Amino acid sequence: MTENKSNEIKIKTVNLSFYYNRLHVLKDISVEFPERSISAIVGPSGQGKSTFLMIFNRLWETIPDARMEGEAFIRLKNKWVNIYDRSISLPELRRSAGMVFQTPNPLPMSIFKNISFPLKLSGVIEKQAVDEKVEFALKQAFLWEEVKDRLSDDARSLSGGQQQRLCIARALTLDPEILLLDEPTSFLDAGSGQIIEDLLLSLKESCTILLISHYMDQIRRIADRVMELSGDTSNNS
Amino acid sequence: MKERFIEIFIKSFAWLSGLLLLSAAFVIIGFLLVKGVPTLSLSLIFGDTSPADALLLRRQVLTGLFPAMAGTCLLVLLSVGLATPVGLAAGIYLAEYSRGNLKSFFSLFYDILAGVPSIVIGLFGFSLAISLHHYVKEIYPCLLISALALAFLVLPYLIRTTQFAMESIPSETRLTAPALGATKLQNIAYVLFPRSLPGIASGVILAIGRCAEDTAVIMLTGVVAAAGIPGSLLSAYEALPFYIYYISSQYRDAYELQTGYGAAVILLIICACLFLAAFYLKNQLMDRMLYRQ
Ligand SMILES: Nc1ncnc2c1ncn2[C@@H]1O[C@H](COP(=O)(O)OP(=O)(O)OP(=O)(O)O)[C@@H](O)[C@H]1O
Ligand SMILES: [Mg+2]
Repeated sequence: MTENKSNEIKIKTVNLSFYYNRLHVLKDISVEFPERSISAIVGPSGQGKSTFLMIFNRLWETIPDARMEGEAFIRLKNKWVNIYDRSISLPELRRSAGMVFQTPNPLPMSIFKNISFPLKLSGVIEKQAVDEKVEFALKQAFLWEEVKDRLSDDARSLSGGQQQRLCIARALTLDPEILLLDEPTSFLDAGSGQIIEDLLLSLKESCTILLISHYMDQIRRIADRVMELSGDTSNNS
Repeated sequence: MKERFIEIFIKSFAWLSGLLLLSAAFVIIGFLLVKGVPTLSLSLIFGDTSPADALLLRRQVLTGLFPAMAGTCLLVLLSVGLATPVGLAAGIYLAEYSRGNLKSFFSLFYDILAGVPSIVIGLFGFSLAISLHHYVKEIYPCLLISALALAFLVLPYLIRTTQFAMESIPSETRLTAPALGATKLQNIAYVLFPRSLPGIASGVILAIGRCAEDTAVIMLTGVVAAAGIPGSLLSAYEALPFYIYYISSQYRDAYELQTGYGAAVILLIICACLFLAAFYLKNQLMDRMLYRQ
């Protein structure tokens, strides 16, 4: 493990608690994550790891009866912002903090349309720029060579590992500052998992990565630091 | 042993039921074809008028089915055209925006509307035409009133199928676009709606069928036995189902009854063409929205 203390703090939470109706999931968590590093989040099933990730793009807000206490900050474009402040634009926050889910979730459309989807959402329509971005993101996600001749195929026709790299590429098209990954390799075979690990190591040059993982050897290989969510305390090592 | 027997019993019962329905459909369609196809001819459709003159609307067809065919097509296009945008919007509202009590209230209301017999809707359309006539002398029961009444008749189907199609999208797909920075409206427009198109299309097809076959509503709201091609939205018109109804209760000789079967076959063909058109439109739309670069 290469602890990188010199890096500045990118993300922090202050006295964060989270409730699903009456179920108290996250209890008074105050942590900090340095930039340009991979931080692994571990812990037994049901401790709230996925919930914790959703704090940072506010995706939990669509869940009825969910409630958060405390504060969360991200240093976006070198300025600390309280991401739960009223002035924050939700779409903008979610473009800066990309998320990749446990099960690959390509949209039911072509590969090209999947990758260019976030661009369309943010109003980039100039053909040349879109094409370039798509190619760049696919190359970044080690997928370009495999799909460059079939960009108009349905994305769901790709293999599981390819789909997951597609989802990472899609999250990368908007140059996010933060990447939130929820067990991205748990449904993949060792080979595809290896490719994604290499991919994450190459991405940490430009992103701050929070990664949920169940695999201790994976964490040993790529994580710079580990945060454990367990029982009523959270340990930060 | 007993469980095995029950399983075999249920399986064969299900199988038989399916077969029964299928053969019933075959018998009905076969009967229609046997009776109706021999009567099909240009003169059945166009009477003594030349087809070219009739199609170019240069001369009215007086004894053929052409005006009824045109009336049915116009009626279906108008009423489905009126009902579809409203139905889709209401379905999207129910699925994506309304919550809690209000949602249950609306759902109950649409279910009640779906249960209203078509003759009641016809009566309502008729009363509407009469009361409007007090203010605007040109308004009688007419094509427009019929189309409005039929639109009301099929709205519940459209609303419910749209709502159901949207709600059955799995939550992973539902959260994908918001996680990439989509607003709610963008999510609906770019993901949820295109994904629901197959379901919505089946609702539209159901609506087309309902509008094409309905007799009760149009009988009270403007259809007549002889009107020619309708000159405007405010004129009376002819329609195939009404012709079939009329001829089968008032026929004077065997030939006239035969033309009723001919009209039924033509109605089936028109419905099939409209279904195919709806299907084609759906495929084009999905392709445009989801695949083409
Ligand atoms: N939408 C929800 N509504 C109510 N309770 C929920 C919801 N989502 C999760 N929970 C509960 O919150 C707790 C934490 O869930 P979460 O998914 O964050 O755990 P996790 O650590 O990611 O688990 P796993 O390792 O199995 O993915 C669980 O007990 C779960 O039952
Ligand atoms: Mg989880």
